[in-house]
Amino acid sequence: MLVLAIVGIAAGVAGLARQWSGAYRPAVEIDLSFSALPRYALLSLSRGVAAYALSLAFTLGYGYWAAKDRAAERVLVPLLDVLQSIPVLGFMPGVVLALVAAFPRSNVGLELAAIVMIFTGQAWNMTFSYYHSLRTVPHDLAEVGRLYRFGRLRQLAWIELPFSVIGLVWNSMMSMAGGWFFLMVSEAFVLGTHDFRLPGLGSYMSVAAARGDRGAMAASVVAMAALIVLLDQLIWRPAVVWSQRFRLDDAGRADEASSWVYDALRRSRLVAWLEAARRRATDRAARPRRAPRPRPADGSWTTRVFPALLLTVLAGLLAWAAIASAALIRGVPAAEWRSILIDAGLTLARVLAAVALGTLWTLPAGLAIGLNPRVSRVLQPIVQVLASFPAPMLFPAVVAALHALGIGLGLGSVLLMLLGTQWYVLFNVVAGATAIPADLREASALFRLSRWQRFRSLYLPAVFPHLVTGWVTAAGGAWNASIVAEYVTFRGETLVGRGLGSRISEAAAQGRFGVLAASVAVMAALVVAFNRLVWRRFHALAETRFSLVR
Amino acid sequence: MAAEFPGPAARPNGAEPLCEARDVSVSFPQPSGGVREVLAHVSFAVGAEEVIALLGPSGCGKSTLLRVLSGLAKPTSGEVLYRGAPFEGLNPGVGFVFQSFALFPWMTVEENVEAPLVAAGKPPDEVRARAERVIRLVGLAGSEGAYPRELSGGMKQRVGMARALSLEPELLFMDEPFSQVDALTAEGLRAEVLDIWSEKERNPRTIVLVSHDIAEVAYMADRIVVLDANPGRIRTEIRNDLPRPRVYRSPGLLAMVERLHEVITGMEMPDAAPPAAAASFEPIPDATPGEVIGLLEYLDARGGREDVFRIAEETGHAFDKLISVVNAAEMLDLVDTPKRTVLLDAPGRRLVRAGPAERPAIWRDQVLRLRLFRQIAEALDRSERHRVSREFVLELIAMAMPQEDYDTAFARFVAWGRYGNLFAYDDAAELLTPPE
Repeated sequence: MLVLAIVGIAAGVAGLARQWSGAYRPAVEIDLSFSALPRYALLSLSRGVAAYALSLAFTLGYGYWAAKDRAAERVLVPLLDVLQSIPVLGFMPGVVLALVAAFPRSNVGLELAAIVMIFTGQAWNMTFSYYHSLRTVPHDLAEVGRLYRFGRLRQLAWIELPFSVIGLVWNSMMSMAGGWFFLMVSEAFVLGTHDFRLPGLGSYMSVAAARGDRGAMAASVVAMAALIVLLDQLIWRPAVVWSQRFRLDDAGRADEASSWVYDALRRSRLVAWLEAARRRATDRAARPRRAPRPRPADGSWTTRVFPALLLTVLAGLLAWAAIASAALIRGVPAAEWRSILIDAGLTLARVLAAVALGTLWTLPAGLAIGLNPRVSRVLQPIVQVLASFPAPMLFPAVVAALHALGIGLGLGSVLLMLLGTQWYVLFNVVAGATAIPADLREASALFRLSRWQRFRSLYLPAVFPHLVTGWVTAAGGAWNASIVAEYVTFRGETLVGRGLGSRISEAAAQGRFGVLAASVAVMAALVVAFNRLVWRRFHALAETRFSLVR
Repeated sequence: MAAEFPGPAARPNGAEPLCEARDVSVSFPQPSGGVREVLAHVSFAVGAEEVIALLGPSGCGKSTLLRVLSGLAKPTSGEVLYRGAPFEGLNPGVGFVFQSFALFPWMTVEENVEAPLVAAGKPPDEVRARAERVIRLVGLAGSEGAYPRELSGGMKQRVGMARALSLEPELLFMDEPFSQVDALTAEGLRAEVLDIWSEKERNPRTIVLVSHDIAEVAYMADRIVVLDANPGRIRTEIRNDLPRPRVYRSPGLLAMVERLHEVITGMEMPDAAPPAAAASFEPIPDATPGEVIGLLEYLDARGGREDVFRIAEETGHAFDKLISVVNAAEMLDLVDTPKRTVLLDAPGRRLVRAGPAERPAIWRDQVLRLRLFRQIAEALDRSERHRVSREFVLELIAMAMPQEDYDTAFARFVAWGRYGNLFAYDDAAELLTPPE
């Protein structure tokens, strides 16, 4: 069923893209002057925010449905799992072509494509978190709601949403960071001779790199970093601190998160006034209405018929997409299949190489940072910013350097993948190292373990669960990156490193939709299979053998 | 209406019961196939103007019974009535106080108390007025704007009580309300609850209290319902007609505590236990080898005998937990329990006097008197590669002790066997192998 779903989605997108008639749309001119940067930053930001709004809406709807409807849950959750693990960038060429075809004369299609791409990078983990929160609402709190007949809406507003806030805020932060990756890719998207660039920081960078304008390149990197830091300080940090009031456990943690913005807001009169207004509003909402009568348990329209209908439509769509894709893929000759599989092997090797290389330096570095509280307090926020910095933005510059050195994309793409994914590993190793209990470290010091013994018998096992989490995220990111890293348009030339990623981009550029659908399906299947067969075992091992909590 | 009913000491028999369970059974399907029966054929009536306590060991289903009466849980069979009629969904006359407080951490004290009132569709003025009244009633005036995490356990439970009382329910259900509150505070809260209840003009008219604290029960209840575990059923009912207000150290109350002790030990530590070896599989009590040996050390240090309640008091163990340890020791023939006394037996003395290195061998001999362990040991011997899977043991447990939770039973089985070096267990492979 899962495979069917993947293949279905792949083909559906490719099918839509096929209708692209090649109608012409003027390429966007990018102004490289510094004064234009704020405007571009704002444009990029608004795309990110629009996609986030879409993700949040999707999360609240899909998560609630999956948590409340037992029948739907069995379809929705595995589907979400697949959506989360497949490299969505594989669908990007198809999505862009399809939406541009829908709006041939304006940039609306491209804008929509960018938003959809960012959405696909943001939504899944948020939805999972929300679904998980809804399913784990503490039993006694839920009982209070039932006992006093809160009804569905109040149950949601008073119990379920507040309980989900912490997870939602944290995942929103992660999602927004991940979203920059897709934003940069879709803003600077060039497919062969077709220029799909959108005005924004991503395109600014790619144009600057193409022209060799180092000042502009540096300026755009600074602008992006400033945007990330600003968002972190003004939005995410206050949000995280605020979300702490929804904690369940009473014990105050030693390292309370703090935020100067939040403190300032709390002191301000405006917020006090808003709070009072909120109270008045809830009072009004509490006006007497008919006492809620006990709702009969069996089928009303909203609780039974509608979800069933929705589920049927969803299943129908999946089935249609599967059939359409089967038709598309059937046209792919056997020789082509063979070469797709070889490409898949090449890209798999690159992904693993990137993860391994990343681990090689981040493991010692992460341990060094994490084991020293003073260093980690200073460096942790920096690592966080680095991790959310969208690597594709640096691709043009790195490709230029590689080009100058005469290194092709066959090897160079590993470097490009590494650029984006190593931070996930570093971030997780640091987190793991800070969590090593002091008594274990004291014990190993007391028994005079050598540095190597300490590494083998304490540090490595202790950070292993975190390392696995880092690997999974990094590998997922590397698969995504392969699509833009193995196929780069640079100064009018197209550089290709042979692999599944470049095949996807190429097939899209040449309009070979059968190959496109087949390659995307192979990649998705490969990633899902790898997750199930390898990463899941690592996770199980981490939980049973190397957990510090049990 | 309240005036029609006589005072708290009266029996419910004459009047119509406020709430009633008729032949109620509750069972849950187990993940590994069987059915676990939590309550079996319980019939029980709650009258007006009384305080009822449900007393029993853990796993006797007393909390489940409370939830069935309130409509939070549905009985598998049987019916529940409120004022003589079955109700749809939740019992309309019940306020509930939770063991864990169950306060919304994101709401202030006031908002927590107001929530049921708002949900019931009361107009804002009334919501405010009623909330204010109950908050004052439980002594929380001044803390309205505080969040639960700022409050101590006792204060939290006051909020829980205010919330339960806000709709002025006829029945106040309390599920081990003071077990997470420190002892001194709990004493004060008990008296306050009785004060609120004794106000005859106002609800609640009746309190049903789940507890495992014998002194608490003797202090508060008019009627004490003692439940048996596995499956839960009503063992006996004891009236407590001591005049109110009661005093903890009064002779009458001490006698009542004593009597409850007798009832429970008679039930929990039957004198005429069949020899363990002859029985089919005995359920493995909830006790680790370490706890059993600790009990033996304790007894040895006190000349080999001690009153069971004395042990509970001195070691600070909950009574039902201690009973499990004593039962485990008795099953292994390490102690004997004439009446309320725990007596060190010969094997027990041998075990406790042996050094740490010799103890496992003695433990092993005692454990092998139990059929389950003997069968597994034989199976390990017989099987081709000297391996026994977890599945195999679970099946044996499931067949012989359908009342048990298989996973915890298995965990205890492994702990007992490991200490006696009867076998090694690989958790990842879920395999038992012979010891090295």
